[in-house]
Amino acid sequence: MADETSPRQAALHEVVQDIPREGRCFEIEELSVAYAGKTALSGLNLYVPRHRVTAFIGPSGCGKSTLLRAFNRLHDLNDDVDRQGRIMLEGQEIHAPEVDVADLRRRVGMVFQTPNPFPMSIYENVAFGLRLQAALPKRRRDEVIEWALESAALWDEVKHRLHDSALSLSGGQQQRLVIARTLAVQPEVLLLDEPASALDPISTLKIEELIRTLKSHLTLVLVTHNMQQAARVSDYTAFLEGGELIEYGATDTLFTNPRLARTENYITGRTDR
Amino acid sequence: MRKLLPRRRLLIEGPGAWLAAGGVALSLLMVLALLALIAGRGLAHFWPPDIEAVTLVSGERFAGQPVREQGLPGQASGSERLYRTGNRDLDGDQWRWVEVNAIDTRTTPEDLVIIERRRWGPFIGRLLRLEGPEAQWTASDGAALWRELEERMARVSQLRHERDALHNHRLEPLAEHVDDSAMSPSEEDELREIKARILALQDAMQRDHVVLESLSGQRLELSLEALIEVKRPNAMSLLAKLASWGEGVWRFLSEGPRAANTAGGVWPAIFGTVMMVLLMSVLVTPFGVLAAVYLNEVAPQGRLTRLVRIGVRNLAGVPSIVYGVFGLGVFVYGIGGSLDSLFFADELPSPTFGTGGLLWASLTLALLTLPVVIVATEEGLARIPDSQREGALALGATRSEALRRVVLPMAVPAMLTGVILAIARAAGEVAPLMLVGVAKLASQVPVDDEFPFIHLERKFMHLGYHIFDAGFHGGDVQAAMPLVYATALLLVLVIVVLNLTAILLRHTIRARHVVQAHR
Amino acid sequence: MTERSLSPSPWRRRFRYVRDRLFTLAVTACGIGVILAVLAIGVFLVVEVVPLFTGSASTANSDAIDIESLWLPQQYPGYDEPQYRWQANAATDADTPMFSLTPLAWGTLKAAVYALLFAVPLALGAAIHSACFMSRRLRFRIKPVIELMEALPGVVIGFIAGLVLAPYVERHLVGVFALVLVLPLGILAAGIIQARLPWCLSKRVPLGWAGLWLIPWLAGLVALTLGISPYLEVLWFDGDMRTWMDQQLGLDYATRNAMVVGLAMGFAVIPTIYSLAEDALAGVPASLSEGAQALGASQWQTLWKVLLPAASPGIFSAVMIGAGRAVGETMIVLMATGNTALMTLSPLDGMRSMAANIAIELPEAAPGGVHYQLLLLCALLLFVFTFCVNTLAELVRSRLTQRYQRLGGTT
Ligand SMILES: Nc1ncnc2c1ncn2[C@@H]1O[C@H](COP(=O)(O)OP(=O)(O)O)[C@@H](O)[C@H]1O
Ligand SMILES: [Mg+2]
Repeated sequence: MADETSPRQAALHEVVQDIPREGRCFEIEELSVAYAGKTALSGLNLYVPRHRVTAFIGPSGCGKSTLLRAFNRLHDLNDDVDRQGRIMLEGQEIHAPEVDVADLRRRVGMVFQTPNPFPMSIYENVAFGLRLQAALPKRRRDEVIEWALESAALWDEVKHRLHDSALSLSGGQQQRLVIARTLAVQPEVLLLDEPASALDPISTLKIEELIRTLKSHLTLVLVTHNMQQAARVSDYTAFLEGGELIEYGATDTLFTNPRLARTENYITGRTDR
Repeated sequence: MRKLLPRRRLLIEGPGAWLAAGGVALSLLMVLALLALIAGRGLAHFWPPDIEAVTLVSGERFAGQPVREQGLPGQASGSERLYRTGNRDLDGDQWRWVEVNAIDTRTTPEDLVIIERRRWGPFIGRLLRLEGPEAQWTASDGAALWRELEERMARVSQLRHERDALHNHRLEPLAEHVDDSAMSPSEEDELREIKARILALQDAMQRDHVVLESLSGQRLELSLEALIEVKRPNAMSLLAKLASWGEGVWRFLSEGPRAANTAGGVWPAIFGTVMMVLLMSVLVTPFGVLAAVYLNEVAPQGRLTRLVRIGVRNLAGVPSIVYGVFGLGVFVYGIGGSLDSLFFADELPSPTFGTGGLLWASLTLALLTLPVVIVATEEGLARIPDSQREGALALGATRSEALRRVVLPMAVPAMLTGVILAIARAAGEVAPLMLVGVAKLASQVPVDDEFPFIHLERKFMHLGYHIFDAGFHGGDVQAAMPLVYATALLLVLVIVVLNLTAILLRHTIRARHVVQAHR
Repeated sequence: MTERSLSPSPWRRRFRYVRDRLFTLAVTACGIGVILAVLAIGVFLVVEVVPLFTGSASTANSDAIDIESLWLPQQYPGYDEPQYRWQANAATDADTPMFSLTPLAWGTLKAAVYALLFAVPLALGAAIHSACFMSRRLRFRIKPVIELMEALPGVVIGFIAGLVLAPYVERHLVGVFALVLVLPLGILAAGIIQARLPWCLSKRVPLGWAGLWLIPWLAGLVALTLGISPYLEVLWFDGDMRTWMDQQLGLDYATRNAMVVGLAMGFAVIPTIYSLAEDALAGVPASLSEGAQALGASQWQTLWKVLLPAASPGIFSAVMIGAGRAVGETMIVLMATGNTALMTLSPLDGMRSMAANIAIELPEAAPGGVHYQLLLLCALLLFVFTFCVNTLAELVRSRLTQRYQRLGGTT
C-alpha cells in the first residue's frame, strides 16, 4: 500500500494540472460519506471539468452512486447519512446555509438507474419541472417541451401521443423521457446513474448518442459499470474502489495506459490482486 | 425392490386436518346463517301475509296472521303457533299462542281486512260498512265499497296535509312570535282565524266512519281519520302483494317511526346516521391524512416515531366505549359546558351544547376512526417507491411540492380506502353514541329550514341505536322484531357495500402497483 | 441554445422556499397535534380519575374510596358477611351506594374468557386449514368474506344473540350441548367417508375445498341435532332440562347468559384472530416447510413440528388482540346478558361487564361525582388493558416479521 501512495497521488493530480481553474464545474475536497456510521466514501478529492463527460467506474458497492448523489445533495433526505468535506459548484460551496437546495437541484439534474416517470401523461412529465420554476404562458411552455423532447431524441416518437400515460412507453423511451424532463428545466449539470443498465442494446446506443450531443452545452457525469460505455462516451474517467478514488485521468490514457496495477486489473477483468 | 406404500385409507391427513377444516366450515356456516336470517326476516317483514280465520276445537273463532311455530315446552311432540291477532283495544293483547292440536279449521276468507290504525296497533276482522254523511256502503256493494273507501281515505290524507301545513307554517311561527312580545289585535284575529280553520279541517276529517267487526263478534266504529292503511291480503294477487311489498319497503325507508318505535319507518335514523357519518368523514379525512403524512414523510424516522406509530396503531384496538367516555368528558362536559356558559348562559340550566349532540358524536367517532385512516394512508405512502420522490426533487421541486404534486396524488386510493373503512366502522358503532348524542326518538332532524340549517347541537336518531332501542326498550318486543330485523338488514347492507368498495379499491391499488413494478 | 432563458426570478425562488417552510411547519404542527389529541385519551382518563384517590372529589361520601374498598369484599349494612357488590343507584336514600369493581372486572373477564373458549379453537383451526390445506383459489375468496364478518356491527350481533339466540338456546338446551359432541364427530365422519369413497368421487370433495363442502353437511347435522333436541329432553331430562339442572345440579339458568355471550362475542372475534393467525402461518418462509416435507414429514407433522413453533408468536399475538377486542366489546355484552353484577363461573349465569356498565350508567352519573369518576376508572382500566395487550402483541408480531425476513433471507 505504502509504495502505491506516490504514483496514486500523481495519478490524482494529473487532471488537476490539465484543467484550468475556470474549467472546473465541480470541485470536491476531502469528501467523506457514511451511512449510519458505515463509511461509503472516504477523503475524496476530485474535479469535474465543464462541458465534458466524466465517467465513474468501479465495482459494485464502491460508492459511485453515493458520490453522484452528493452532487445534488440528495443525501439530505436520509437522516442516517453523515457527510464531511466540501463540494463546490462553480466556485460556490453547495452546503452553505444560504444555498437553496431546490435551486441547486434544478441546476444539477439527475437521471436514475431505473426510469422513474411520474404516473401522469408524457406532456405533464416534461411540464412538471417547468411549472415549478415559472408560470410560463402555454405557448412558450409547449415550445420548451418540444425542444426538451427533441433534445432527448424522443420528439418524433411521442409527438402524436403527448397526452398518453408516460407508463405506456417502453423502458428506453421512459429513460429518455426522464432525460427530457430534466433538460426542460435547463440544468447546467446532468448526473446519470447507470442510465442504460436496465435497457436493451438499441436503447443503450440511443442514450449514448444523446450523451455525446448533450455535452456541447452541459457538464455530464456518468456512472457506469460498463467499461466499453465509459470508453465510448466519456472524456475523463475516475476509477473508484472501496470508497476511495484510485485513479483519475483522461479516458484514453486511463484505459490504454493505466498507472496503477489495481486499475489495470479492474479494466482487464482480472481478479488476482 | 419395495413398492411405494399405499395411501392411508382412514382420514388421509389425520384427524387434526379435518377438525381444522371444520373450523372454516363452521365459521362460514355461522356467517351465512346470520346473514340469511337477517335478510330473510328483514325482507319478509314487508310481505303481507294471509289472514287466517281460525276455529278452535272449543268452538272459539278468531282471525290472525300466523307468525311462527315452535315445539311445546317439556314435550317431545306437538307444537304451538303464534298468531298476530291485532285488536289490542278489544282483546287486551295482539298476540295469541294456540296449540296446533286445538285448531279445528283454518280458512282464508277474502273479506278479512287488516287495518293499520293510528292508535292501538292493527285491527284484524271484517269491514261491515262505510258510512258517509250522505250514504253508506256495505260489504254487499263489493268493489264499490272499496273504491269509495279509497277515495275517502285519500280525501282525509289531503285534509291532514292541509292541516299540518297550516299548523307548521302559520300557527307555529305566529305562536313563537307571540311568545316574545305582546299580541297585537290584528295578530289576535289571525291566530283565532287559523285556529278555527284547523278545527274545521279536523272536523272534516272526522266526517266518514267505518264499522268493523272482529271474528269474535265485537263491533267497532272508527272515523277514517284514525286509519292509516286498509289491506285485504287474502284477496290480493301475487302481483298486488309484490306491489304492496315494494310500497312497504319504501314506507320503511321514507317514514318516521310510530308506536314507540315498534312500527313505522326509519327515515330519521337513516338521515341521522348519514349526517353523522358525513360530518365525521369531513373531520377525519384531513386530520388523518395530515397525521399520516407527518409520520411518514416529515417526521425524522427515529425510535420515537416508531413508538408513536405503534401507539397510533394500537389505538385502533381501544374499545369504542372508551372513546365515548372521552367524548362525554371532554367534548360534552368540557368544551360543550364552557360554550354553554359563554354563549348560551341565558338558556342554562338546560344545556345547549353541554349535552350529547350531532357535533360531539361526529367528533368522537372521528377520533375513534382516526387510527384507521392514519394506518391506511401510511401504508399507501409507504408503498410509493422512493424513486418517485427523488425524481421530483431532482427536478428542483421543494419537499412540499414533491409531496403535493407527486406523492399525495398517488396515495389517494389508499386514503379513500382508509376513509371508507372508517365510515364502515363508524356506521356500525353504537356504544360511544349512547354517551355523546344519540336519541331514542328525535322530534326534529338536525337539518331544517331554520337558521343555521344544520343544528350541530341537536340529538339525532341512529340506525344502530334504533335496533338496540326498539329491540330492548320497547314495550312489545314481539311487534318490534320484524322492524328490528329490517333495520339490521339495512345497516348490514350499508356496511357490506362500504366494505366491498374498500376491498375492491385496495385490490385495484395492488394491481396497479404490480403493473408498475413489472415495467 | 437560443431557448436557454429559464432563469427563475429570485422572488419566485424565495416564495417557493417560504411556502415549503410554511407547509412543512403546518404539517408538523397538525400531525403532532392530531397524534397528541389521539394519545390524550389516556391522559384525560388519568387526570379525571386521580381526584378519586387523593380524596378531593366533591361528593360527601368520597371518604370511602380507596383501592381496598374497590377490590376487596366490604361490609354493607343489611348483609351478614363482607360482600362484593356494585350497586350505584341506591334504592332508597338511606342506602349507601355500593362500589366494588371486582364483580365488574369479573364479568368482563368472564365474558372474554367464554368468548375466547369458543373463538380460539374455531379461529385457529380455520387459520391452520386455510394456511396449510386449503386450495389457493378458495383461500383468496375466503379472506374477503371473513373481513366482511369482522365488519358486522356489534349491535346487530348483540340483537341476534339477545333476542333470537338466547330464547332459542333456552328451548333447545340439550341440542346445543349435544352439538359440542356432534359437530367434531360429524366432521371426522365426513373425513372417513371421504377417504372411503371411490377415487372418482372423493376427488370431487377434496380436503382443500372442505371449508365449502362441509357447510351443507354441518348445517344438516345442526338441524338434525336441534330437531331431535325435544325428544332427548323428554328422554333424559323429564322434558325440561332447566328444571332438571336446577333440581339435580342446583344450577340456575338465566336466559341471557355467559354461554350466549360466548357464542356471540366469539363470533365477533373469530375474524380478528383468524386473519392475524393466518397471516402469521402463511408468512412462515416456504423453505422451512418444504425442507420438512422433503424429509418425509406429512403435512400435519410439518404443521405441528415446523409451522406452529415458527408462527407461535404470531398466533399468540392474534389471540391477545382477540382478547383485547372481547374485553372492550360493549353492545354484544350489553344486549346478550342480563347485566346483573354476579360473580359466578357458571356459563348459565349472566354478568355485567365494565364496558356495558359504562354504557348503562355513565349518561346518568353526575359529572365530577364519585360514581362518575369510578366509571371513568373503569374506562381507564379498559384502556390500559387493551393498550398494553395490543402493544405486547404488536411487539411480538414485529419481532416475528424480522425473524421471517432473516429466515427467508438465509435460505
Ligand atoms: N441507503 C443506504 N443505507 C446504508 N448503506 C448504503 C445505502 N446506500 C448505499 N449504501 C452502502 O454504501 C456503499 C456504496 O454504495 P453505492 O454508492 O450505492 O455503490 P455503487 O453505486 O458503486 O454500487 C455500499 O456498501 C452500500 O452497501
Ligand atoms: Mg449504484
